[in-house]
Order: sequence, then structure tokens, then C-alpha cells
Amino acid sequence: MIRKSAIAALFLSILAIGVAYASAFRKSGTPAWSPWVVAVAVPVAIVAIMMLGAARDEGVGRLKIPFAFVALNLIVGFVAALALPATEGAASGLFLGLPLRAAIIIYGVGLLPIFVLPVAYALTFETQTLSAADLERVRRLGQANAERAVGDSPDGRS
Amino acid sequence: MIHTIHALIQSALPSVAQPAVITVGILYFAVIVGISVWAARRTRTASDFFVAGKGIGLVALTVASVSVSVSGFAFIGGPAFVYTAGLGAMYIVLPAAVTNVMGAWVLAKRMRLLGEARGLITIPDAIGARYNSRAAQGISAVAILVGIIGYMATNALAMGVVINSIFGVGLGWGIWIGMGVTLAYSASGGILAGIYNDVFQGTLMGTASVLVFLFVLQLAGGLGAISQTILQHDPGFFSPWGKLTPLAALSFFFVFSMGSLGQPQAVHKYYMLRDPLQLKWYPLLKTVGLVLVLLLYFGVGVGVKAFIASGKLPPLGSPDQATPTLLLNVTPIVLAALVFSGIAAATMSAANSFINIGAAIVTHDLPIAFGRRVANELWWGRAVTVFIAIAAAITAQRSGAMVAFLGIFGWGLFASTLVPALAIGLNWQGATPSAAISSIATGLVVTLALETASYLKMFTFPAGVTASAVAMVASFLVFFVVSWLTSQRGRQPIADDVRLVMEL
Repeated sequence: MIRKSAIAALFLSILAIGVAYASAFRKSGTPAWSPWVVAVAVPVAIVAIMMLGAARDEGVGRLKIPFAFVALNLIVGFVAALALPATEGAASGLFLGLPLRAAIIIYGVGLLPIFVLPVAYALTFETQTLSAADLERVRRLGQANAERAVGDSPDGRS
Repeated sequence: MIHTIHALIQSALPSVAQPAVITVGILYFAVIVGISVWAARRTRTASDFFVAGKGIGLVALTVASVSVSVSGFAFIGGPAFVYTAGLGAMYIVLPAAVTNVMGAWVLAKRMRLLGEARGLITIPDAIGARYNSRAAQGISAVAILVGIIGYMATNALAMGVVINSIFGVGLGWGIWIGMGVTLAYSASGGILAGIYNDVFQGTLMGTASVLVFLFVLQLAGGLGAISQTILQHDPGFFSPWGKLTPLAALSFFFVFSMGSLGQPQAVHKYYMLRDPLQLKWYPLLKTVGLVLVLLLYFGVGVGVKAFIASGKLPPLGSPDQATPTLLLNVTPIVLAALVFSGIAAATMSAANSFINIGAAIVTHDLPIAFGRRVANELWWGRAVTVFIAIAAAITAQRSGAMVAFLGIFGWGLFASTLVPALAIGLNWQGATPSAAISSIATGLVVTLALETASYLKMFTFPAGVTASAVAMVASFLVFFVVSWLTSQRGRQPIADDVRLVMEL
């Protein structure tokens, strides 16, 4: 079920990005809604493909929390950058050395996911990605493949 | 990316041929030769040559992967782009926060396990196994080969520019020296030499990047002081999209995030990890490594902007001079020498990876697509390596304009041809061979047609739309639609071992 949902989300988000690009070819220029669509669709596409990769039969387990967080984080970051008024100037206040909207992009979009996703990947690795038992099953199949290849070879060698 | 490759190719880097720079440069090449001799003695089979016998440890693989993920662009073209486009240029590198873990979830485990189950050694191998289709394997091999032709010629030329800048030997000799050294270690030690040279080169790049970033912050009095100086002179620089339109900036984020799943120089490395369970820490280590290497990209771009605004640096002749101007005017000469060696390292590292992948395609994937096997893949791998390197050097030397064009489409071509068929295909059993072949062909044709039309000025894209982005969207949509249309008659049974790898 989770895989089907991820595929549907990925298809719809890519379709939305395509529509936004197509709209930019209008003679009247890129419509105002176009970047808003891409600002939402790109994070959805990224998280959908990660969910597709992480999904097992029982779903994505505890990973749904970091996935939801990152999708929201990216969407809020991009939408805030589009929505907030331009106040950059000599008198701008700085947040960690950058004006507000720049700080949202650099720290929020560019750095915050680093503290969430790779850590979530490592913490759920055995349960959600690859356990020693999983690896052993694949190795047994690999061994069987190798033995079959030797058997199929005319001189007994692969 | 268009600006990127151009930046390194078209900028005439100033001569930095000073004793300290030349000494560091010679030491750098001596280490490369030493590693290559060591690796050549350990390369005995085709598996050693193409995937390092699947025996690379986690830290070495991570550093090597960081090294090939950034090109000389991170040191020259990138800071120039930040200097010109402000924050908008960061959308090329911001996806690094998600791309490594995305690659780990989507591709790393499945490709490494396919290597375990089937002994696969190339990306087209994985596509061929997934779809049980020699045609899919063959067309993906052709697509990668076309992209490699472009990348190799541009890397050869970039090497020439950098080596000429360091040693003052002239562009032609620079190309042949750079390609000669890369060829020597690629042909003798294969990817094993490449990996350990990448480890050395990646360490050099990371060290140089961090030192330059810290130096810029110290000289400017911190990031806040840099921002205030720039905001007084050019507030638009720090708008969330910089000097780009919102659509253009977001488009970069899309292409450089999703597109990362199709870059063979990084994806191919998943096969090489000695113990698949070590993948646990791979995304975290690689992301941290990438952030360190990319500090220079941001630091030099904003630093030079602020230093010029405050009169600490003279105005630039062209944006591509941002890094050389900073290094030659304000940093200690040894640090400048480290960075220039780092730039040479970046181009050689990328060239080695592409040579190796290209050789595997010619000696392994294309014969398999035609139902044949090469008798001695190691010998032929070395022979094709020599051929690719010499062909790239000759192309780079003879045809500058053509090389610039070839360099434009590499990233986008890999992204549009490989991401749906490989990244989605390995995770979705509903994908069909017809869909894989159609989407690869779509990516190939759309990318080449649009880039050619754009290069010849037959057509101009609206602001914010690029050929890479359009080709990637088209390739994705074709992949989904053809999969659904051919789901009944077009679906090949998936082999049991491949199905297990997809379900885990």
C-alpha cells in the first residue's frame, strides 16, 4: 500500500512540475502560481522516492516521522521564501549571520535535513533497511546462482 | 551546470607558477604515482579492475565518493556562480542535504545486494537484471557512453587549464600531462587505483576547502560582517533566490536532487563496499564530507563579493576569477597551492571514474547486449581505458567549442536517462522493460535535441526552464505511462533473486 501511495505521489508531483514548466512557455510569461507549484511538488517528489526506497511489506515504520518532518520542512522553507516580504537591506537584522529569508533557505532547507535523515537512516538500518539475516538470505541465493553457473558451464567453470 | 563546466573550461586561469605552488603540485603528482604503483600490483581480475573486487572499506568509499561527486566546478565555477547569482547559486548544492540518504534508501542497498546475488559490476548490469532485458541493458549502456564522451572531453580540457596554471607548461601540454597521469593509474590499477587516489584527492579537497572557508571568515570578521557589507551594496544578492527567478532556483533544486540518483560515477560506487551492513553510516559520513568540501563554494563566493564591495580586493575581470583572485591576493601561498592541487585532483578524480565506467561499458555491457562475452575483460578493459583517455585528450585539444557543448549535457543526460529506469525500476515491480527502454530513449533524445537547439540558438528556454529539467520530467512521465499501458503484456517475470532484493 505504501509503495502504491509513493508511486502515486511521485507521478502526481512530477506531473505538477511538468505543468509548471509548460506554463512558463506562455507568451504572457511565467504565471505567478508556477513557482508555488514547484515549491510544493519538488519536496513531495523527493520524499515520495525516499519512501519508495525505504518501504518494506510492513510499510516505512518509524521512518514516517522523519519523512513527514523533511517534507514539511522543505515545503515550509520554500513557501516562506516565496511568501515573506523582501526586507533585505543595510538595516536588516541577521539570523546566524544571514538575513531572515536567506537563513531560512541555507539553514532550514540546506542544513536541517542533515541532522534528521542520515541519523534516521542509521537508527533504523537493521529494522528498515538491511539486517544480517537479510544479507544471509541474499548470500545463499548468490551461492546457489554461482553453483548453477558452474554446473551450466561446458567445462565446469564459470 | 551549464555555467559550471564553462567556468572551468573557458576561464583562462591566471598563472600561479611560483616555487611553492610548483613544489606542492609535484608532491601531489608523486603521491598519485605511488598509490597507483601500489594498486596496480593488486589488480588481477576484471572485478578488481572495475569494482575493486568489492573490497573497499566504508571510510575509503565515502571519501572517494565525495571526491567524484564534486568536480573542479566546486572550486572555480561554483564560487563564480555564487559571486554572480548570489543565493540562487546555492540551489545546486543545497540538495546535498538529502541526496546521499535518498541514494542510500533508493539504490545503495539494492545495487550492493544485486552485486552479492549476481556478481554484477556495472549500472547497465543492474538494469539488465531488473528487467531481464538485454535491450534495456544495451540502451542504458549507450546513454551512459554518450554522457561520458561529453564529460571526458571537458575534464581533459579542464585538467589542461589547471595544470597550465600551476606549472606554466601551456594548455596542450597541460592536457597531455593531466590525462597521461590519469591514464597511467586508470590503466594499471583500474578503479582500485582510482579509489585510493580519490581518497587522497578528496582529503586534499576537503582540507583545502575548510581552510579557505575559515580564512575568509577570519579575514572578513565573520559571516555577519560579510552579510552586512554585501547588503549595503547589493541587497538582492541575499534574496532567497539571489539573482535568479524563483522557478529557476527551484528548478536547480529539482534537477540536482532527483538527478543525483542517475550519476554513474557515484552510483557505481555502491557495488564496491566490502560489507553491505556498513551502509548504515554511509549517508551520514558522505553528507558531512560533501558539506566540508562545499564550504569553499559558498565561502569564496560571498567572501569575494564582500571583499570587492569593501575595497579589500580589486574588481574581477570575470566572475571565474573569483577563486584565483582571492587565493593570489589574500591567502598564504601554501594554501593557494593546496587549492590549486585540489582543483587538479577534482578533475583527475572525475576523469578516472568516467574512464573506468566507459571501459566497462565497452568491454562488458555492450557485448552482453549483443549476446556475447569478451574473453579477457581485464586486458580489454585496460586497452579501452587507453583508447578513451587518448580520444578525450585529442578531442579536448582540437575542438574547444565542441568540447564546451559536450560538457553541457552530461549531468542532465545521466539524470533523464537513468533515474526512472534504475531508481524507480529497482523499487517498483510494476515497471516494465518497455517502459525502461522508452524512458531511457526519451531522456537521450529530448536532452540531445533540446541542448543542440539551445546551443545553436535555434530556441531559447523561458527563464527558469532548462533542457535537463524538461528531459527529466518527460522521461519520468513516459516511464510511468508506458509501465501502466504495458502492465499486462509487457511485464517480464522478475527473477527470484532480483525480486528478493527488491522486496527487502
